[in-house]
Amino acid sequence: MKKTSESAAAGSGGNSKMHNTLVYFRQHWQLYVIFMLPAFLLTIIFRYIPMGGIAIAFTEYNPIRGIFGSEWVGFEHFQRFLSSPDFMRYLVNTLKLSVFGLLWGFPAPILLAFLLNRILSAKTKQKIQLVLYMPNFISVIVLCGIVRILLAPTGMVNMMLGTSFNFMTMPSAFRTIYIASGIWQGAGWASIIYTAALSNASKELKEAAVIDGANIIQQIKAVEWPAIKDTVLIQFIMSVGNIMSVGFEKAYALQTDLNLNASEIISTYVYKKGLLDGDYGFSTAVGLFNTVINVILLVTMNSLVKKMNDGKGI
Amino acid sequence: MASVQLKNIKKVYPYISGEDKKKNKKKNADEPEKKINLQITDEGVVAVQQFSLDIKDKEFIVLVGPSGCGKSTTLRMVAGLEEISGGELIIDGKVMNDVAPKDRDIAMVFQNYALYPHMTVYENMAFSLKLRHTAKDEIDRKVREAARILDITQYLERKPKALSGGQRQRVAIGRAIVRAPKVMLMDEPLSNLDAKLRNEMRAEIIKLRQRIDTTFMYVTHDQTEAMTLGDRIVIMRDGYIQQIGTPQEVFNHPANLFVAGFIGMPVMNFFDAELKREGNNYFVELSGVKVQLDEKKTARLLKNNVQSQPITLGVRPEHTHVSDTGVPAKVDVSEMMGSSVHLHVNADGRDVIIIVPTLDMENNYNYGDLVHFTFAGNVAHVFSKETDKNLEF
Repeated sequence: MKKTSESAAAGSGGNSKMHNTLVYFRQHWQLYVIFMLPAFLLTIIFRYIPMGGIAIAFTEYNPIRGIFGSEWVGFEHFQRFLSSPDFMRYLVNTLKLSVFGLLWGFPAPILLAFLLNRILSAKTKQKIQLVLYMPNFISVIVLCGIVRILLAPTGMVNMMLGTSFNFMTMPSAFRTIYIASGIWQGAGWASIIYTAALSNASKELKEAAVIDGANIIQQIKAVEWPAIKDTVLIQFIMSVGNIMSVGFEKAYALQTDLNLNASEIISTYVYKKGLLDGDYGFSTAVGLFNTVINVILLVTMNSLVKKMNDGKGI
Repeated sequence: MASVQLKNIKKVYPYISGEDKKKNKKKNADEPEKKINLQITDEGVVAVQQFSLDIKDKEFIVLVGPSGCGKSTTLRMVAGLEEISGGELIIDGKVMNDVAPKDRDIAMVFQNYALYPHMTVYENMAFSLKLRHTAKDEIDRKVREAARILDITQYLERKPKALSGGQRQRVAIGRAIVRAPKVMLMDEPLSNLDAKLRNEMRAEIIKLRQRIDTTFMYVTHDQTEAMTLGDRIVIMRDGYIQQIGTPQEVFNHPANLFVAGFIGMPVMNFFDAELKREGNNYFVELSGVKVQLDEKKTARLLKNNVQSQPITLGVRPEHTHVSDTGVPAKVDVSEMMGSSVHLHVNADGRDVIIIVPTLDMENNYNYGDLVHFTFAGNVAHVFSKETDKNLEF
């Protein structure tokens, strides 16, 4: 009986809170309009209106005739891409690069955040963070330049190994180079969100764990991991949703004629077809295919995570 | 169950860098070497010093004092959460200064409960035992026994967020007692609870203490908790111990002005008065009213060979009585508290509180009424003007 009345009280509390929010919103709607309108307009102009361009995927697009003046070809471009002998190679290359990138690259910033959280001196921590964040501000093209110099037959890596491999021409080395340089560049910056989430971990709880006799791993498991778990899951869902969106610039900049077997991915193919060959309709169709796969993965992963995580997801 | 000895314990928080030290020195160049009343040395800020205390086996010791006095720091040093800068900590005959917290055989209850939010009550209570590789059936027996003692058996499968503040604190205590620690440390465990729940939990802790027979160190800033729970109370200020004694001792014989003002509610009334020695008798004279001190106080003052001098006289509100003659005062405020009235009067520019039992009240007191008050010689506390110390000590 008591429980029922408590839940009823909680329910009525929730309703009255919602009612208060609505009343507040009605009284101050102008504020919401002022703050939301620019974001709303920007989203419409730059995110939704360009979606009209999707129609290009179903036409034999000619820039002079425009989208609606071009010949309508339906799903012909999609059929052409899916039945192309290279389709599987591009798809597998893209998936391998992104899945391995996710497997190696996703835990790196989390581990880094746990390590940073262990540094007691705030000043030392700041200095280390500064060093870790800096690579993020190097442009992708400059980064690829650095990688090419370091891995050249006369580069530093070969000097250290006492060899003269031309790593950039080895298809088997491409994915490692791509993923490792990505971790080096992005892990520090990506750790910010986890470091911030870790700062919410209760200090008392950590001390309680110490007194309970937990070692560092057990402390991370009992105190720190629960504090960042939701953030990690959301980041994971977002990453899975972008699994097909492997950055074109980096793959293209690290590409050589000899490593094409591993480095030709959907986005580089779209670029070559669309901009270099001028086959806009086909290139848009390939891009759209990419996006649809991403959306399917995002929705699937989100519902999977929700099932495993007490309904918490995006 | 164990005795705890703290021998000349000191805690210094070192400066983070030389620059900080310089900044602090610059800031304090024109001020004395004290900041927020804590001593600042070349080593850093001294949070606790000259802390010596012998805690007997199964004793309940309460550390009490205002914020920043070093009570929690002392407790954390015993727990091993803070490094000890100087002195010796001995638990059950072993020096524990450099022993890891998990190996000290202590348990601690925190102010904010410190329960693992993703674990159920059962898992929270079992966690420390699991880490010690205790057998499953042994863990189950201990957890259920602790839950029964604390009356939380029905909540064992719930998560902390589904519990009220009082229930969470019970779980936190349960988590500590399942380990049967040698020393139980409690850092303001009732501070987050409302007044009613705090009273209930206070009674629970008293009952718990009778059941689990261990040594307790309890930190609070609430004097009521200190007085009701402690076998002995340690009153601290600015990192120093001010007085150690039973609740009765610190209430009846405060060692100095600070203790006198800190213990007791409402706070003790203080007056500028004169102590007069006439042969082997002592009198206090306040606004022309002369009160002779009783035999016990006289004997202590004689032992210390105290001479006539200006003093700070302290009399508790409950020992101050309205009378026909005595020190004249004007009524400022009359607070009806049910069984008594707290009469705030102004005597010679000083605010004085008199507790008048409702049964003894002949008439109501209104603003501006002239009253007289007096006190007996056995409840007057005489403090040195120079040192603030009780002249009886």
